[in-house]
Amino acid sequence: MTMLRVETIEVVYKRVITAVQGVTLAVGERQIVALLGTNGAGKTTTLRAISGFLGLDDARITEGSITFNGHRLDNRPPHQIAARGLTLVPEREKVFPNLTVAENLMAPVPHGGGDQRRQAERVYHFFPRLAELRNRVGGLLSGGERQMLAIASALMCRPKVLLIDELSLGLAPIVVDDLKRRLVAIRDELGISILLVEQSAAVALEIADYAYVMENGRVVFDGDRSRLAGHKDVQEFYLGGTGSARRSYRDVKQYRRSRRWYG
Amino acid sequence: MQLVVNILVLASIYALIACGYVLIYRVSRVLNLAHGELMMLGAYLVLATASLFDQHPALALAAAVFLSLVSGGLVYVFLMRKMTGEMVLAAILTTVALGIFIKGMVVLIWSAQQQYPAQALGVSNPSLSIGVASISLWSAALVGVTASTYASLFVFLRFGRWGMRMRAAGQNPLLAAQRGINLHGIYALAWCLSTLTGACAGILMALDSGFTVNMPVIGLKAFPAALVGGLDSLGGALLGALIVASAEVLLIYYVDPLLSDVVPFLVLIAMLIVRPWGLFGTREELDRV
Ligand SMILES: Nc1ncnc2c1ncn2[C@@H]1O[C@H](COP(=O)(O)OP(=O)(O)OP(=O)(O)O)[C@@H](O)[C@H]1O
Ligand SMILES: [Mg+2]
Repeated sequence: MTMLRVETIEVVYKRVITAVQGVTLAVGERQIVALLGTNGAGKTTTLRAISGFLGLDDARITEGSITFNGHRLDNRPPHQIAARGLTLVPEREKVFPNLTVAENLMAPVPHGGGDQRRQAERVYHFFPRLAELRNRVGGLLSGGERQMLAIASALMCRPKVLLIDELSLGLAPIVVDDLKRRLVAIRDELGISILLVEQSAAVALEIADYAYVMENGRVVFDGDRSRLAGHKDVQEFYLGGTGSARRSYRDVKQYRRSRRWYG
Repeated sequence: MQLVVNILVLASIYALIACGYVLIYRVSRVLNLAHGELMMLGAYLVLATASLFDQHPALALAAAVFLSLVSGGLVYVFLMRKMTGEMVLAAILTTVALGIFIKGMVVLIWSAQQQYPAQALGVSNPSLSIGVASISLWSAALVGVTASTYASLFVFLRFGRWGMRMRAAGQNPLLAAQRGINLHGIYALAWCLSTLTGACAGILMALDSGFTVNMPVIGLKAFPAALVGGLDSLGGALLGALIVASAEVLLIYYVDPLLSDVVPFLVLIAMLIVRPWGLFGTREELDRV
């Protein structure tokens, strides 16, 4: 059953830059959905549109709608969206640098209330490393630990859908493998859905039930894991197809970037 | 000995006022330049409540303190709320305008003459002696209020759920909002607490020695104390208040009483040259300035 539905949305930055155009996607219950695409494709913009982060950048959803369990979410303030059960792990600045790990976990306001100490224990169970670092401040963590803390503190909001921007950015492959396994465990044990933005299709394909590929602000391809893995373009651009079949960077560049200027 | 007491009292005054600047700056990076006026408003509110609750000075004081808290909230809701997400400079200019407005209003309502809320309340201000030194009752109360304010703010910010959220919002408002923290609620809380503590300082000073519409100058003199400490650190504000107050009292005593109004700013300038981010403050990234 579909929980989150994004319906042909268009997002315009500063009234002139259309970053996302006619994007439609759906996230079902207990699904892990991946959103793929190269730099500047509009993935972050789409996640921000869902999580209500656009207003601060002078951007708006000018068309389409976002619904979550029947409630309209487009152009709502971030804390109201969080209160519905959608929590974002942003691309950058994802933890509070001067709060300790434990405080980073206690600060979030849980969606629907509940005992935060119990929830913290559950979260520590997914990320035992964080329990060891309890009293270290967020700003001193390594990239991987910070990503764990960001996901952990997002879980403290008790989300129904976890939105993660760039899970693997800047992380060692072994750390990414570890995080992937934990995400699957989190999905299975907490019964939540995850919408995952990724540069690397290989990473997403291993755990995603369904994937969308964005290019120039549009969804150019979507399908389940097997369809995606079999798709020719996806193989070439994102999985790094076989030797000679791989197009040169020049060819890739002809896919023009998504910046479009209107009068 | 009397000098030590004087330093302690002045430091308490500055510290109690300075924590108001720190609270608001810390959560929203806004300098509230109307803090002195809001502090004075507290003193005028005592005049108002004194005539309302004629025979009950305690009730009148409590009502004035409560009204100050409410006015801090109102300032946020009706004025500063629209400034969230706008340029910080615009917000600061708004507080300047607010200060001028408050000053104009109180002169209109109460005229510019010297006021004695202690008389209006019918309370006295006996002098207490500690060894060879003496301290007036309301000054002693002020020292006590400052101490307990700092103690409770420390506990609140360190261990309280909402205190934690306040710190979180100060560090990364976007992320805080995404983690379900209502920023407007946090900012309103900061304004309420800031105005409350400022008004307590204003009320106690006015009870001690009366006041005029020039009271906000003291608010401005407490500003260096907050800055010396680093503006976003409460411990820093406490130490800054002590430094500024010591310098002021000692220079008045040994050099010239007329120095009183310049000393805090001399300390401030010296500080800005040596450590622009204050004693404990966070060193701001250049791109933020
Ligand atoms: N604040 C902004 N103001 C104006 N344009 C912006 C803003 N943020 C993003 N854009 C533009 O919107 C387009 C999509 O950006 P977005 O950040 O969504 O891409 P992305 O797919 O997340 O890329 P990456 O993989 O590099 O993170 C880009 O062309 C970008 O220049
Ligand atoms: Mg991005």
